This record gives sequence, structure tokens and C-alpha cells, in this order.
Amino acid sequence: MKNEYFPYPAVIEDIKTETTDTKTFRVWFTDKVLADSFDYQQGQFMELSVPGAGEAPISISSSPSRKGFLEFTIRAAGKVTKSIHMLKKGDYIYLRGPYGNSFPFEDIKGKNLYFVVGGIGLAPLRSLINLVMDNRNNFRHIKVLYGARTPDDLCFKDELEQWKKIPDTEVWLTVDKPSAGWGGRVGVVTELWKETHINPENAVSIVCGPPIMIKFAADKLQESGFKDKDIFMTLERYMKCGIGKCGHCNIDDKFICKDGPVFTYEQKKGFRHKEHIF
Amino acid sequence: MRGKGGKDMKASKVKIIGKKKIKDLLREASQEWNVYVPQKWSDGDVWMDQLPKDKQMLDEALEDVVLEDVDTVISPKDIFFPQLESIFKFKDDKIWETPEFSPKLIFGVQPCDLKGILFSDDFYRRNFEDRYYVSRIQNRLIVARGCLRPPRPTCFCSSAKTGPFAEDGFDLQLVDFGDSYFVEVGTREGEEFITMHKKFFSEPDGNYDMTIKEIKTKACDSLELKVDFQNALSLMAQDSFIPEENYRRIGERCIYCGGCLYVCPTCTCFNVFDNVKDKEGERVRNWDACVFEGYTRETSGHNPRKDKWLRTARRYEHKLKFDYKVTGLSGCIACGRCLSSCPVGIGISKFIQEITEKRKIM
Repeated sequence: MKNEYFPYPAVIEDIKTETTDTKTFRVWFTDKVLADSFDYQQGQFMELSVPGAGEAPISISSSPSRKGFLEFTIRAAGKVTKSIHMLKKGDYIYLRGPYGNSFPFEDIKGKNLYFVVGGIGLAPLRSLINLVMDNRNNFRHIKVLYGARTPDDLCFKDELEQWKKIPDTEVWLTVDKPSAGWGGRVGVVTELWKETHINPENAVSIVCGPPIMIKFAADKLQESGFKDKDIFMTLERYMKCGIGKCGHCNIDDKFICKDGPVFTYEQKKGFRHKEHIF
Repeated sequence: MRGKGGKDMKASKVKIIGKKKIKDLLREASQEWNVYVPQKWSDGDVWMDQLPKDKQMLDEALEDVVLEDVDTVISPKDIFFPQLESIFKFKDDKIWETPEFSPKLIFGVQPCDLKGILFSDDFYRRNFEDRYYVSRIQNRLIVARGCLRPPRPTCFCSSAKTGPFAEDGFDLQLVDFGDSYFVEVGTREGEEFITMHKKFFSEPDGNYDMTIKEIKTKACDSLELKVDFQNALSLMAQDSFIPEENYRRIGERCIYCGGCLYVCPTCTCFNVFDNVKDKEGERVRNWDACVFEGYTRETSGHNPRKDKWLRTARRYEHKLKFDYKVTGLSGCIACGRCLSSCPVGIGISKFIQEITEKRKIM
């Protein structure tokens, strides 16, 4: 009987500072058999442990198309994530998973894609975006609409620049509070609707960010003519076990950890007390 | 049931044991099993506790065993899902698992609690399988004990058909008959237990079938609290039925102590955290409750169920709507403990009465 609660050691191979409170950790399993058989899908998460501090569910931010490592982009927010930030290259971290469903990939080939992202929400979406970029010919026009609190809070700055250079790919940035030297747009992510045309034709949108941002962005996409089934979003809940047992992430008969975190707007509308989901 | 060759199979499916022999049976069984049986503490509370292995302590504990009119404070769920449980330990770079496999004889389980155990078994076995729960139930024998009278005034098992006697799911079931128990055999494991300890059991005489039936009917009639359980499930199954007024009113009354969920036989939620002492640490899990504000509060401080009534709604909808939708069985097994333990008089039976009888009682 497999013990789903039991974590496996991985070595931190690299740490990249993204913002003042966010770092990307590149890790890989020490056990060769596990490393060789490990696989995951875009949008899935893993449970990361620092023994003594505890365990937290963290999205995988690397793309499954890029093999031999895992990346987690983590904001130091609570006890566990702050402990992870204390770790150094060469240290062990303990992992189990991957868990949860995934962002669509096969089903959205041949479509125009709109990624609507807020803050650290780019971490799970980066997994899908890089998977799409590694299969760029299978997709049509792509727009990444990304909002952050301040210019310093924008993650993956190098990659944002790289994505822009790819043909038929646009990256639109906005910040809530500009800092000195920021020449870009100011305002919440839905303000970008004024700047760039949002066309629902043969398009799907994938939204990820803080709950309040998802709510406004999804509503805005619907107003723009996107069908409910073509708006994908992540739902966020406090989570412990990751495998549908501890109960915390329940919504109706679903567990966000097991049945989510990715849902369509259509599914979200089917939930009971749906006005109180976010 | 008639077996091959006209042999009356039913005759071998019921045995009889004198009440005076129960202590000796438990003493003998405790050599092979960890025996859990209701014991009355000096303060008057009854707990489903493990019998000690030490001979003298065992003799003392056997004096405290009670099997009649027993109201155990909590259900026996903590035998398989302890209130606090270590799931693994760690030191330096080593981590090791700490599952528990001991053989367990659970003696004197109320039929409603048996339903609760079976409900939790199904939940924990379902993908993903819970290693710790499943290892604890691997080697288990359940001796149910039907209730002649409701042990709590809040019992409403006859309305939910979860008691006062179990129809299945037990290995053995005791049917109280004066100074003896009829022992109904539910499984091959139950039969083997009787064979192992055959000196305590004998064959029942006469028309015992009819006697057992009469005892069960009388027990069923003894329940005064009756609610329209099936109607409540049907109502709650309708997506258009949202008794928000009830949720809001009960939500205002509730003091969010979580007591109802701790005593509930089917509540399975837990929290997980690490404890460290002198470089050696352990990951533990402990009972949690969906009515606590912190249950859904995120690191950012955002809480999708900050409103109290949403937590109340979750409690009733989980038990009476979503469990039923997923498993075909109600998550409430009608033990009545939530009401008997509630400091402000809230309970599932009252909620059922409110929605089916369309009146305010809380």
C-alpha cells in the first residue's frame, strides 16, 4: 500500500530571486528510480515539506516539456514558505505528489489563447505557457495580460521579454502602484481591456491569480463574449493533505486539491452558494 | 435462509452467551486482541477504551465494563482515527513512517456508530487511500450491541434506519435477552471468533428467531424522537432548496466550539502540523472542524467562509446533501450526539425538523 503522506527528498539545484519576496527553486529527486519515472502535468501542484516547519501545497511552475527538474516559484508568506526561503542550494526539500487536475492543453490546440494573470498566479500558468511555447506551432495568437501590485512584483521578467519576441505573441503588463522609472501601464489587469482588443472568436482564456482578481477577470471575459466553458480558472482554498482527506479545500462534493484546482467558469457557476466561492 | 440439503443455516448463525461470562470472554480475548469496550469512569462518563494488558489492571478495568444503556461520550472513531496521531517521524535527513496495525476487537459498538465506522471506512479507502486509517482497520473485529432503549434522549436512529439494531456490517451482534445475549453472526470472522472461544457460547433453544424479532421491534418502538429523515434527504438533494434563513439563524446561535464535530461518528476532517523536540520531530494530524473560522482561512488572511452562516450551511449540506450525493448514504447516522453535546441546543435532528415541518425550533 503506497503511503501518499510520505514525502521524498529532493535537492535544491538552483535558486533564482524573482522579486523581493519571491524565489524560484529548481529541485530534483535524489532517488534515481523516482526521478526516472516522475511525470506531471501543467497546473498540478506538489506538497513541499521542510521537516519541523511543516508542509504546504505549491504549484509546479516549470513546464512538463522540460525534463529532469522541477521548479517551484514561492512567495514567502507563511511559516512553511518562509522556511523554504531560508534553504540554500544543495539543501534537501521533501516532496510528494503531483496532485490535482491540470490546465487544458490538447483540447485548446488550434485556438487563440488569452492568459489573464495576477501576481504570483503566473507561477502555475508559466507551466502551461512554456508548454505552449514549446509547441508554439499548434496554437494561434497568444496574449498574456499580466498585472502585479508593483513593478518589483512582476515575476519571470526575463521570460516575459522572451515571450514577447515570439511571433504572434503579445505580453501586456500593468501594475497597481507604479514606482519611479515605470513607464508602463497602471491599473488592475482588467484595465488592459481598454488597451488591447479581446476577441472571443476561436479563443479560450485561462485565468490565474488572487481570488478577487479571478472574479473580476472572469466576469470581464464573459462580458467580452467568452463562453462559460472557454474560461478556465483556478480556485484557491486553504489546503492541507492534497489528496481529498483532510477536508479543508471542500466546495460542495468537490475537493479543490483532487477535483481542481482548475475549473471552467461553467463549473464554477454550478456550485452552490456560488456568490461566495471567492 | 435454507442451505444445501435442507440444512437450516440460520440455526448456526445465532449463539447465546450468559452475561456473566462476558468478562471472562473479554479477558481471554485480550490475549489475542487489543480489546476496546465501553468502560464507566469514576466521573460517570462512559468511554470506548482499550482494556489494559497487565493482569491486575485488566481485572480492575473489567469491573468498569458496561454494555447496557451505554452512552459513550464520543463514537469509537478515535480507535481508527485518533484525535492526535503521529504520521511519520524525522531526525537529521531520515524520515520513517509510523503506521499502526494491531489486531482490534471492538466490543459493544452501538449500531449507529457501526454505520459511522463503515461510512468512514469507505471514505478513507476511496482514492487516495489513507495509509494510517486503513492500516488501523486491517485486522479488526466488530461486536455490535443493539440498544433496547435509546441511550440518549436525542437518539433518532429508527428514523434514519441506522438502529437500534444493525442489519449488517457487524461481525457479531449482541441482542440483550434478560441475563443472556443472543449473538448474531454476521461474518466468517465472527464465526471464527466464536469457535476460538466456544466454551463461552451455546446454542439457543426454542423459537429464538421470534424472540429476537420481538426484542428488536420493542426496541424500535422505544424511540420517542422521530423525524422525517428521508424527506429531509430528498429536500436537501434538490439544488433549488437552499434554506438560507435557517442557516443564518442557526449560524447566529452557534458558538463555533466544534464539539458537535468532535463527537460526530462521520466527521473525518483533520489538520496537519510538525512537532519538534530535541532534534527529533514528528508530523502529526489532529481532528479539525469545518465550523472553525480558521478552517478555510488562507495565509493571506482571505477567508471564503468568513460569514458564519456559510460554515453552518457547509455542516448541514455536507452531511445531508453531498455525502448522500456521493455515496448514496446520509453522512448523519442519527446518533443524536451533536444535539446532546451542544451547549446552545443545536442538532441535526432539529434542523431536519425545521426543514421538513417548516417551523422554527432553534
